[in-house]
Amino acid sequence: MSDSSKSKSSLNLNPSPTLQCKDLHEYLKSRSPQFLETLYNYPTICLAVYRELPELARHFVIRLLFVEQPVPQAVVTSWVSQTYAKEQAKSCEALSELLVWQEAPIPGGMPGWMLAQSFKKNLKVALLGGGRPWSMSSSLEPDGKARDVAFLDAYALERWECVLHYMVGSAQTEGISADAVRILLHAGLMTRDAEDGSAVITRAGFQFLLLSTAKQVWLFLQHYLHTAEKRSLSAAECLAFLYQLSFSTLGKDYSTEGMSNNMLVFLQHLREFGLVYQRKRKAGRFYPTRLALNMASGRGEGAEAGGGGAGGAPAQRGYIMVETNYRVYAYTQTSLQVALLGLFTELLYRFPNLVVGVLTRESVRAALRGGITAQQVVHYLQQHAHPRMHSADTAGVRATSALPPTVLDQIKLWESERNRFTYTEGVVYNQFLSQADFVVLRDHAKLQGVLTWQNERSRTMVVTRQGHDDVKKFWKRYSKTS
Amino acid sequence: MADDEAPSDSSLLVIIVDTNPNQRYITEDPKVLTNCLDAVIGFANSHLMQKARNELAVIGCHFHKSEYLYPSPGKPLDVRQIDGQYELFTLVEKTIKMRLVNLVKSQPQEDKPGESLLAGAVAMALCFIAKIRRESPPGLRMTSRILIVTGSSDTAAQYINYMNVFFTAQKQQVLIDVCSLDKHLSLLQQGCDITGGLYLKVPTLDGLLQYLLWVFLPDISERNKLVLPGRGRVDYRAACFCHRELLTIGYVCSVCLSVFCKFSPICTTCHTVFKIGGPLPIKPKKKKMKL
Repeated sequence: MSDSSKSKSSLNLNPSPTLQCKDLHEYLKSRSPQFLETLYNYPTICLAVYRELPELARHFVIRLLFVEQPVPQAVVTSWVSQTYAKEQAKSCEALSELLVWQEAPIPGGMPGWMLAQSFKKNLKVALLGGGRPWSMSSSLEPDGKARDVAFLDAYALERWECVLHYMVGSAQTEGISADAVRILLHAGLMTRDAEDGSAVITRAGFQFLLLSTAKQVWLFLQHYLHTAEKRSLSAAECLAFLYQLSFSTLGKDYSTEGMSNNMLVFLQHLREFGLVYQRKRKAGRFYPTRLALNMASGRGEGAEAGGGGAGGAPAQRGYIMVETNYRVYAYTQTSLQVALLGLFTELLYRFPNLVVGVLTRESVRAALRGGITAQQVVHYLQQHAHPRMHSADTAGVRATSALPPTVLDQIKLWESERNRFTYTEGVVYNQFLSQADFVVLRDHAKLQGVLTWQNERSRTMVVTRQGHDDVKKFWKRYSKTS
Repeated sequence: MADDEAPSDSSLLVIIVDTNPNQRYITEDPKVLTNCLDAVIGFANSHLMQKARNELAVIGCHFHKSEYLYPSPGKPLDVRQIDGQYELFTLVEKTIKMRLVNLVKSQPQEDKPGESLLAGAVAMALCFIAKIRRESPPGLRMTSRILIVTGSSDTAAQYINYMNVFFTAQKQQVLIDVCSLDKHLSLLQQGCDITGGLYLKVPTLDGLLQYLLWVFLPDISERNKLVLPGRGRVDYRAACFCHRELLTIGYVCSVCLSVFCKFSPICTTCHTVFKIGGPLPIKPKKKKMKL
């Protein structure tokens, strides 16, 4: 009898877990249907969900919005030309996942689609009016000390940078509350030092710093909502309020009248992170800042470049120049930005207002080893590109990116250089006593489609994890009969 | 006309609403105008709903002048929410209605309503688009289009102005869409064809919003993915510069390409003097006889 000693190869599939940043779509998908159902009672959420849908799906919704009975699925399919069938399927899937529409049978027996009642009702309310006003819109006396947009931008930027600075140089603890620290720890962006218990930044934290401000805010708030449920704050209510904020007008004041106690607590937290501005805790009014407004347009990838616009990033100027010879010039003084650049460049010189570095294979690979993706590096450079980089004319060809194409490609190549292996979990079968046994088992595994690798001379084979049970059973049966 | 397939970051839509009181559907029942306006406002808000960065302008086109209905010049209205509607949408609705009232009130009472100044309104729209483009941050991909909603019939009187704005729009990569509420508009249809926009004559005014949402809401990059009404045949007849009549055969100035229905010795546009008197075909005949 041969004995197949099985040595489980437990390969670490994810050597360096990259930071997960879900967008609203993915966040909602991971929630329960009941939660979604409650969310769709808020017109703001419906509006936000609508904007997050794929473009074709948006048109499906708007075409079905005023239709009261189910529409045959075949009809919906016929709206899109054949060449884009794949995109159409994806859009339909997204709508089903988010429970925006449900399957409904049509009298003729054909399958049909029907928009979810509450979603339809509340999207109509948001678009055309009706229903109850949002909680924060009670009328107000004109504010004697009204704040302008520039002030709010500066305030938001200062508050948010305070959080970021805390992450880098944890020494200064002023201006950041225990709550914020708890969220950072909960999110795994920071961790307690083993020795003195002070919070230190993790790898995930560095990746967090490389994200665009809008994404940082959204990720941070996601974790906040996670912890909110433990603090008896309703996540649905908080989310609805957040989106109300994101759909408000910059530079306008809103009333806190009629807001529940929970929401007032929530508002104080938002105030701390710079999402809203309040002069006094009991002021009765607040101003949303650009950070809160950005939530709505959070997904726009390249859109944030340059800032400005209705939903643009806080008016923070780009400061990085990248040349085709891989040199990086950063006009900055803050240690935070220098530290971030140092993650993926080799710093050469430092002047009072300028840092010069160079992107090398080693420096970028060091960053990649730390779990930072090429996408994040490129995005960071692009997001903070100097205005001159945007206006640089590339011989009349409209460039898709502000960065030189060579640098862009090379960073991506350096990343793919590291991804030469694909890992598959498997189980090794070896030490067969006879060639015949080996061949029988191998052929069975091959027939089942679970064979990953085999070598006849050393009588070794590797079976995937899923196929292991089946092959093992087969082997037991086989060895008994023979 | 836009050559890039990638979806844009933002889309700018300028809607031109013809509010001329002598449109047939208004003279028959003035209340219909309110319905049409509501449909247009609903459509405008749906456009803003698509993406957070989408922008909108609405121009009212009357017989004595054209005016921006939204955004209003100067400080925007201070609007507080009254119901569950998104604040921005309330602002759009209120501003358009208020400014339209002002526009209608400002019309001269003694004059008989003339023709709508559509070409001028399109020129205004192009200026607005150019302004927004200039002010937008570098690196932002923005597509722009103009939608004309009109019930007037088109006359060749504005032919030259029309052609000028159409070709400017084409050069600026601005799409012109036309939604005709009443008659078939061959001149404006030419504009759609030149700029790559869509032309639709709605069969009935009921459910105008649905027609607008189905056909004109998709952005340029989305249009080739959806099945939308085709171009159809376009009447490309030109109007003569002397009597503004549509012609199939006419005289063309060899210098400035002006079209005339009758021969004249001096071009009225560029003042070129044509030396040869009489119709052209006679001369070669004479030469042949001499040889």
